[in-house]
Amino acid sequence: MTNDAIHARLTLVFREVFDQPGLEISPATTAQDVAGWDSLTHINLIVAVEKAFGVSFTTKEVRTLGQVGDLVRLIAARTP
Amino acid sequence: MLKPDRSALDYTRLVKQARQLPVHGRPLKLALLGDVSTQHLAPVLRALFSTNGFDAEILEAGYDTVAQETLDPASALHSFRPDVIVVLQAGQRLAGAYAEASGDRTAFPRTHADAIEATWQALRRRGTALIIQGNFVLPAERPFGHYGLKVEDTLQHAVMELNRELALRARRLPGVSILDLDFLAGWIGRRHFLDEKWWVLAKSLCAVELLPEVAQGIVDIALAAQGQAVKAVVLDLDGTLWGGVVGDDGLEGIGLGELDDGGVFRSFQLFLRELSRRGVILAVCSKNDEVLARRVFREHPGMVLREADIAVFVANWDDKATNLRRIRDRLNLGFEAMVFLDDHPFERNLARTLPGLIVPELPDDPARYVRTLSELNLFETASHSALDSHRVGLQRAAEARQEDRAGFASLDDYLRSLATTAVVARFTAATLPRIVQLIQRSNQFNLTTRRYTEAECALLAERKDAGAPFTVSLADRHGEIGLVCVVVLRPAGAELEIESLLMSCRVLQRGVEQLAMNHIFARARAAGHGRVVGHYLPTPKNGLVRDFYARFGFALDRRTAESETWSLGVEAYEPRAVFIRELPAADAPPTLAAPP
Repeated sequence: MTNDAIHARLTLVFREVFDQPGLEISPATTAQDVAGWDSLTHINLIVAVEKAFGVSFTTKEVRTLGQVGDLVRLIAARTP
Repeated sequence: MLKPDRSALDYTRLVKQARQLPVHGRPLKLALLGDVSTQHLAPVLRALFSTNGFDAEILEAGYDTVAQETLDPASALHSFRPDVIVVLQAGQRLAGAYAEASGDRTAFPRTHADAIEATWQALRRRGTALIIQGNFVLPAERPFGHYGLKVEDTLQHAVMELNRELALRARRLPGVSILDLDFLAGWIGRRHFLDEKWWVLAKSLCAVELLPEVAQGIVDIALAAQGQAVKAVVLDLDGTLWGGVVGDDGLEGIGLGELDDGGVFRSFQLFLRELSRRGVILAVCSKNDEVLARRVFREHPGMVLREADIAVFVANWDDKATNLRRIRDRLNLGFEAMVFLDDHPFERNLARTLPGLIVPELPDDPARYVRTLSELNLFETASHSALDSHRVGLQRAAEARQEDRAGFASLDDYLRSLATTAVVARFTAATLPRIVQLIQRSNQFNLTTRRYTEAECALLAERKDAGAPFTVSLADRHGEIGLVCVVVLRPAGAELEIESLLMSCRVLQRGVEQLAMNHIFARARAAGHGRVVGHYLPTPKNGLVRDFYARFGFALDRRTAESETWSLGVEAYEPRAVFIRELPAADAPPTLAAPP
């Protein structure tokens, strides 16, 4: 999957999880930039991302993921 | 009622749904306790309760505060006054405790079960909420491999023993249900259900995306305790109970027994027979020649179900919606208490036009019928009584009574001919399950529709003197009818208040309510109460008893939108004549004077 394709699908997941239909994300987006992205919804986000891309992150990755860009890289490394 | 659709259990969708739930619905207060984190479970629970018509208010006790919340009389839990308390404990914590235990660990399961039971007892002392206790999921770690089953001192063995201990203890304590997490995990696959990552990161009981499965289990149990249970299954015949079409293929040609997929239909029929033994009524609704259809039940050696297992048998060429309405009327049930099973999508869609009727999608392969129905968990129940196991027999005796009735000139003649006998008794341990069941299920002949839980009934049973609750059980020349009427009373100064009065609709117009009322007034008189007070709380279903108190000569004291209060002086009451002979009861209610 190309980074662009991942980014596009990831945007849809973010919109669904944070319930913001117009939400736009960039590689530099962090929890500070998205209303409602806290430790509770972080779990919801990861669950939705894992399901959407059919991937699984390690415990440490889930805990340390800070930027959307990191998320895209991890997904790219795990999808064909 | 339960939504017959497993695809609704998507975590992300439910969380989103929980953000904007409609505010209406029956209120229900639920407390979540445990040594797991419940913050991801709670929204999912609220969404699923909402889908089922309940507005659930959820109290999340702090993480790992079971003991504090339970023992402190001033705790948030106790002031919340929950209807349902869910206790969830993590297998990971159990594994930790087991690993740290020293010396002989063979007593570990029992000690642990003692502690959990002590929590139930403490909760019970503070209230009558339904307690739902999750059991433990068989762990992945097996230091001995398969051999572990032969070694007593293993976690594997301890978990199995503990689950067994919990089940045994829950059977003894009214109002405690076990949420069978080990079954859920096993069904889904323990390697998916148990997820160390989500335990470490979020102290989640299981993989977060599987929390809806756990929540659905809780909802199923809570709803059954609220009286929402399936009471009857209506079955199509061709393609559903056997392969092929009996009208075309003939008795010898249908798929049953050795022929075609006969084994598949045998398994399905065995499952249905188990349901019937559990007290679920079976009925037939088929487009068929009735004589031919009945012949299959009578003569085909491959049939498991027989005519005697079917309470109402409708086989004709009318449309199924009409026939389903007839069956509903004959069974005296609401559609929401009925499931309709038909292999034909057209008939299913037609049946779905009947409001409330539960019509699950059936898979194309009949080999998967049992699995599909089991996955939907349509038959959750909150009680089981000995009466259940011969419910079909009771239903058929009722049909016989109906047929009898036609031959009599007057209702009185008919009632006299039945030679009905009654036993009036107090609440006993033996009758408690049936009492609870009747309280949960009666909608129509029910003056106040108060759904006492099993634990509350156990408390009511302790009321003394004129306030002692009582039951009426009937039999007649057609056989036993069973416990059909429950009366809950409360002495209030000079008055004796009828807190609850309900009756099975199987015994309308038999004089049971007159008999019960005679008893109530005899009791009031004997205990020196001057008046008897009754309430009518209207619901969409109990219009049948709108005039109940008026018919007994009570006067209306107060009326609001939600309730009516009626009363009658003890001296003004005229005992009613009934065609029921009362037999002495071993468990007669206390201080009961003979009716004047």
